[in-house]
Amino acid sequence: MVDQNSNYALQTSEVYVHYGKKMAINNVALNFPKNEVTSLIGPSGCGKSTFLRCLNRMNDVIDICNVKGKFLLNGNVDIYSPDIQVETLREKVGMVFQKPNPFPKTIYENVAYGPKIHGIASSQNELDEIVKDSLHRAGLYEEVKDRMDDIATGLSGGQQQRLCIARAIAIRPEIILMDEPCSALDPIATAKIEDLINELKENYTIIIVTHSMSQASRVSSKTAFFHLGNLVEYGETGKIFTKPDKEQTNDYITGRFG
Amino acid sequence: METAHTDKNFEQKLNHLTDNLIKMSNIVEKQIEIAVNVIKSKDSSDAQTTQNLDEQVDEVERDVRDLSFEIMTLHRPVASDLRLVFTALKVSKELERMGDHSRNLAKRAISISSSFDEDLTDQMHNLGKGVQKMVNQTLESFFKKDEVQARISWNQDAEIDRQYKSLLSDLIERMHNKETSVVDEGTKPILIAKSLERIGDHATNIAEEVIFNITGHYIDLKKSDF
Repeated sequence: MVDQNSNYALQTSEVYVHYGKKMAINNVALNFPKNEVTSLIGPSGCGKSTFLRCLNRMNDVIDICNVKGKFLLNGNVDIYSPDIQVETLREKVGMVFQKPNPFPKTIYENVAYGPKIHGIASSQNELDEIVKDSLHRAGLYEEVKDRMDDIATGLSGGQQQRLCIARAIAIRPEIILMDEPCSALDPIATAKIEDLINELKENYTIIIVTHSMSQASRVSSKTAFFHLGNLVEYGETGKIFTKPDKEQTNDYITGRFG
Repeated sequence: METAHTDKNFEQKLNHLTDNLIKMSNIVEKQIEIAVNVIKSKDSSDAQTTQNLDEQVDEVERDVRDLSFEIMTLHRPVASDLRLVFTALKVSKELERMGDHSRNLAKRAISISSSFDEDLTDQMHNLGKGVQKMVNQTLESFFKKDEVQARISWNQDAEIDRQYKSLLSDLIERMHNKETSVVDEGTKPILIAKSLERIGDHATNIAEEVIFNITGHYIDLKKSDF
């Protein structure tokens, strides 16, 4: 049951997702505490990315994808309600993808684009401040402050991903979804993103899909383990990685899944 | 029965770790058995055997430590694997201490005169047999992952303590009474009894590790907590 508890940024229940006749998510209920990082883990094809994409309606663009269930933002906003514009929802629920995907524009324009189209800045000065602040929060400002007009695709992979995070936070979301944000990055760039996630949780709720068990254990306070479309176990990350309740979880995180 | 890891190398190392603990347990159990028998037999060659076995115990303990370090560094174990490595390190330390006590008590036992009070010798021997049984059952609970047996073993320590205190009171009383055979041997019987009592304490520590390995929690056990 979804309750009205405002300690949760997002509450979901009775979630079913089908691709055509194939079931991808089977009756999942999962709540995301505010200002915490929740990891979604599980083997390929377990439904974790599908579930993540439900949370800002990314699956809407897939014709054969049918999503059912309750999704409540801040305890009272049904994100699948006909009254909710997808664009408005994505102002609240931003997303960072597996591969950094900056626009082929300047560094400045990449970050300024969202606030412009959502009408967040009322003046050029305010827009400049948002861009600067977002790059700061993403830990990138010092590295790019002297080349804001350079094309963003010239940045390193790790910098591009932090730029994408800056772009996501520029529209002041409440929740940031991350779909394997470090899988294309080297260990140093990964460490920077993980540091950043730790800092960002002060102001945002973060939900991250990761294949890296060690990343899940490092960055998240809650972990959810998916398998074959089912939520097998959810709990404190420390407990999941030391003494999970379910044998299936233990088998997966210890590498016993064939 | 747990399924095997997809990483065969990791699987082999974990199996090797368990094999080392079994090997170490077998040696220490043998050491205790011989040492307890030496209380009565006063056989100096058996006492020497406990010394020789102690060197083997130390060697396996080093292997357990090195392998645990390697597993943690290269494979970053979690959940049941992490608990196994953690438990292996602690259990091997307890076993090593048990081995030391066995060696010491055997060495002291052969130095006690053969005319020493028979009743007290029987009491020490009985205490030793009780400790030996407790150790065997505790180690069995570890390898069988039997939480109930671990709790039963843990509880046996109360009886070991009771026997130890009774033996100690008896020794002190006989010293007060200036019974020659007891006074001549000085502190040796006390130290033998103390070594046996300490082996029992190490066995209770192992029982607690067994419960942690199975449940993931250190339980605040009470003597009657079955």
